[in-house]
Amino acid sequence: MIATTAFEVKVRSISRSSDGVVAVELCHVNDAPLPGWAAGSHIDLLLPNGLTRQYSLCGEQGDAAWRIAVLREPAGRGGSAYIHDVLRPGDVLSAAGPRNNFALVDAQSYLFIAGGIGITPILPMLKEASARQRPWTLIYGGRTRRSMAFLDEVRAHGSADVHIMPQDEVGLIDLDRHLAVPQRGSLIYCCGPGPLIDAVESASRSWPSGSLHRERFGPKPVDQTLVEGSFEIELALSGSVLTVGEDDSLLEVLEEAGYPVTNSCRAGICGTCLLKVLRGECDHRDDLLDDEQRASNTMILPCVSRAKSKRLVLEL
Amino acid sequence: MLDVKKVRGGDGLAPISAQVDEILESVFETTRKATEAFFNAYNENPNPKQLATWLETRAWREIDYVFLLNEQIRRYGMRFKRNHITLLAKQSFQEAEHYEDVGRAVESLGGTVPTTVPEPAMEWSNWLWDCMDRHHLAGIAAWYCSETSASGSFEPTFVGAERAGHAEVVKIYKQIEIDEKFHTSLGRQILSTYAETDEDRAEILRAMIGMRDIAWKTFTPEVVAATVRAKEKVAAAG
Repeated sequence: MIATTAFEVKVRSISRSSDGVVAVELCHVNDAPLPGWAAGSHIDLLLPNGLTRQYSLCGEQGDAAWRIAVLREPAGRGGSAYIHDVLRPGDVLSAAGPRNNFALVDAQSYLFIAGGIGITPILPMLKEASARQRPWTLIYGGRTRRSMAFLDEVRAHGSADVHIMPQDEVGLIDLDRHLAVPQRGSLIYCCGPGPLIDAVESASRSWPSGSLHRERFGPKPVDQTLVEGSFEIELALSGSVLTVGEDDSLLEVLEEAGYPVTNSCRAGICGTCLLKVLRGECDHRDDLLDDEQRASNTMILPCVSRAKSKRLVLEL
Repeated sequence: MLDVKKVRGGDGLAPISAQVDEILESVFETTRKATEAFFNAYNENPNPKQLATWLETRAWREIDYVFLLNEQIRRYGMRFKRNHITLLAKQSFQEAEHYEDVGRAVESLGGTVPTTVPEPAMEWSNWLWDCMDRHHLAGIAAWYCSETSASGSFEPTFVGAERAGHAEVVKIYKQIEIDEKFHTSLGRQILSTYAETDEDRAEILRAMIGMRDIAWKTFTPEVVAATVRAKEKVAAAG
């Protein structure tokens, strides 16, 4: 978790948004203004049961309260269960942020694809795109119409090109219909379950590089066929996952994949290529980071260092 | 964010590290002030030929580093680990790129890229090569100090050159600034790795103190103005 200053927030209200989804409004514990945010932002919540979870902000920017939406995850580790079953209005939690790894970049038009609870970061983007007077299309899928949160708010966009696609009514989303032909000047924003994002990545492979922006709510599963000595790097801002082979340099893999990193010595002594690490355990092989910096696992010099864990998540 | 003075190597500088750091801080600061003074004077009455003259000395330093580093490898390289030979060669390549880039800036301002030691750089160059002749680590110590001096000039160069509208100069020195972190880190690592005796450390301090007293001088407006006058005199006589 990135070290940012945490502060206390109070639960203002909890309401049912759809089957299995509750919307939680949070205000500052002292009624002070909350930090501003842009579409795509998320916050960290430290729950009293010791778990820390990230949630997208899905309310109105400029509101006195933040709004998040939480899907009950029966197979989860207890975060959603706590929020659904224990949390009450008036409860105080610790929050940090907002941070934004999924910002709405300016484009001529947008194709928004949301699956289930993935609607939460997308919802403010619809309003933002409309405010920028950019045409947009939303494809919103879910298991059933009753499970899909914020349908009224989505429909309130009136004349916009909105496709509500409950799977039990229309089956799987026909992604090829929307993605087979790249739209010049258009960006794709996708959030939802892993299989949806994988499918969108595949269907949009003919689009120009950088067209697809995605946010996964859980990490892409680590490739179990990785060769010993290899590891993966997940680029948090783009969602890309790259493999670093046992004889590859992390820096070279990034460069070859089109992610240039300013560097100079390429020998671990100058610090120019320093990258921020969000998750994973580093295998530091440089001569510059001190013991505290190494132990924090929040930074790495990719020219020489590698990973001890199977995956490193980088802020790139 | 990362302090390249803390690069790991060996304990060779440990007994004198406080003195080394003091010398580096001193030369960084005097060069920073000298560069500020130059650009303050320059921006009152911008004359591209003045800036070209100021840069000519910078250009000479770059190519002299190329000569020095390769000679260091030739004379003393077999005392070092192979990776240090590679890194010295890599530094040499970058210094050559800097000579090319700074040279381009000199020419764009109407100056001439030096191919022999310009008079204002004579004392600096002589000291460097004197150190190289004396001891296998003294040349490195001298350029470590000199490179740190150059680092002190970057921020006022960015501010002053941008104010005067010389975007190309800013761009070139932004790249040099990146490489300089590598060069100073390498200097520190080599000295700390290979300094073994009190004699080694005495030579290192001698080299650095000497360079501390020389390195900042050519950054001042007075030296540049004197050089420009001398050139004009020669041009008028010829």
